[in-house]
This record gives sequence, C-alpha cells and structure tokens, in this order.
Amino acid sequence: MHRISPIVKIFTRKLFPFILLYGCYLISHGHLTPGGGFQGGVIFGSAIILLGLVEGVKLTENRFKEDFLSLTKNIGMLIFILLGFVGMFLGYSFLSDFLPRGEVGTVPSAGFILFLNLTIGFMVGTGIAVIFYRTVRHEP
Amino acid sequence: MSRILAITILLILAFFFFSAVKLDYGHMHSALSEYYITHGVAETGALNMVTAIYLNYRVYDTLGEATVFFASALGVFMLLRKGGEGESDA
Repeated sequence: MHRISPIVKIFTRKLFPFILLYGCYLISHGHLTPGGGFQGGVIFGSAIILLGLVEGVKLTENRFKEDFLSLTKNIGMLIFILLGFVGMFLGYSFLSDFLPRGEVGTVPSAGFILFLNLTIGFMVGTGIAVIFYRTVRHEP
Repeated sequence: MSRILAITILLILAFFFFSAVKLDYGHMHSALSEYYITHGVAETGALNMVTAIYLNYRVYDTLGEATVFFASALGVFMLLRKGGEGESDA
C-alpha cells in the first residue's frame, strides 16, 4: 500500500470545507447562475469521495456516517415528492409553483425552484457518497 | 450477399448523416423556444433558463430523473453489502 504524501493530505484537509461551500453555492444559486442541484450535489459528493480517498474510508466514516448519508438521501427524495403534494393541497396542480416570488436576480426570486434544487442537491451528493462507500468497502 | 447488405446499410446511414449535417440547428426557432425566451423570466423568476425549464416547465421529467438516480443508489446500497452470508442491512 502506498503512503499518501503529506502535501496531498494537508491540502485536502484545507480544501475540503471550501469544496463543500462551493457545492452549496452552486445548489443555492442554481436558478441565477449556471449550475443547479445535480451539479452542486455531485461536487458535494466528490468532496466526501476526495476525503475518503486521501484519509481512508474508516476515518471519513467517523465524520460522515453512512447511515446518516443514506437517511439524508431518502429524506431528500421524500421531500421532493411532498413538495409536489403541497402544491396540490393548496389548489394548484401536482409539482406546480405555489410560493410567492421575490425580485428577479436575488436568491428568493424563483420561489419553489430553490427548494427543489436543495432537495435534489442533498439527495445526489449523499447518494454518490453512499455509492462510493459501498463500492470501496465491497468484499466479494 | 452480406457485402451488399453492408453497403446498403452504410449508404442509408450516410444519407441520414448528411441530411442531419445540412440542417440549420442554430436558426431553428420554434414557437415554443420563442415562448420560453420571452416569457420565461416573468413566469418562473429564474434567470438561468435551463433551470427554469427543467424545474418549472418540465419538472415531471426531473422527478423521473431523481427517481432513477434514487433507485440506482438504492440498488448499489442493497447489492454491495459488506460480505458475509446471513448479514443483511437495508
């Protein structure tokens, strides 16, 4: 087994929160700038994958528990569908926009789209991390 | 015989390819794309037109995509267990 150089380790530790922050930015500004839920979620998941590759899956799992990530993925999917039903109960059709809109160009401008992006982003990010954990730890 | 068949298929494919190349994609304005460009920002409030389409006009498609991703992640989660016969976790 190769030892990982300390440069890579230290830079990964320093970069990790900024990668997460960039993922959050892409998710929350998905309706204003290029990006969105899927892209930001993939960056979110790849930050966890980077930490897992550099620090080892065991240490990463202490911080990001697989059960917690899996639960977040399931809850993200559930909230996506529930948001659709909320629109139905308020008298619109399924998955239609029911929130008021702010000024165009600001973060709350698109109402409903922001929340859909958030659920998709967390679902994709944690889903990719879970797939990574399962694939790495798999023993045939 | 198979050679003739191959040449025929190749000619048909070449015909499709060249007729697709000749199409003028950049200047094909349908009524729908005009509608999205003119009314999109006012109706959805999203400046990013791609997001406006895939999370407002075509949100059912996104629901399907999310379901496909969820199902595939769940499949990996179920199939790749940590080894062992009786052990199972869902």
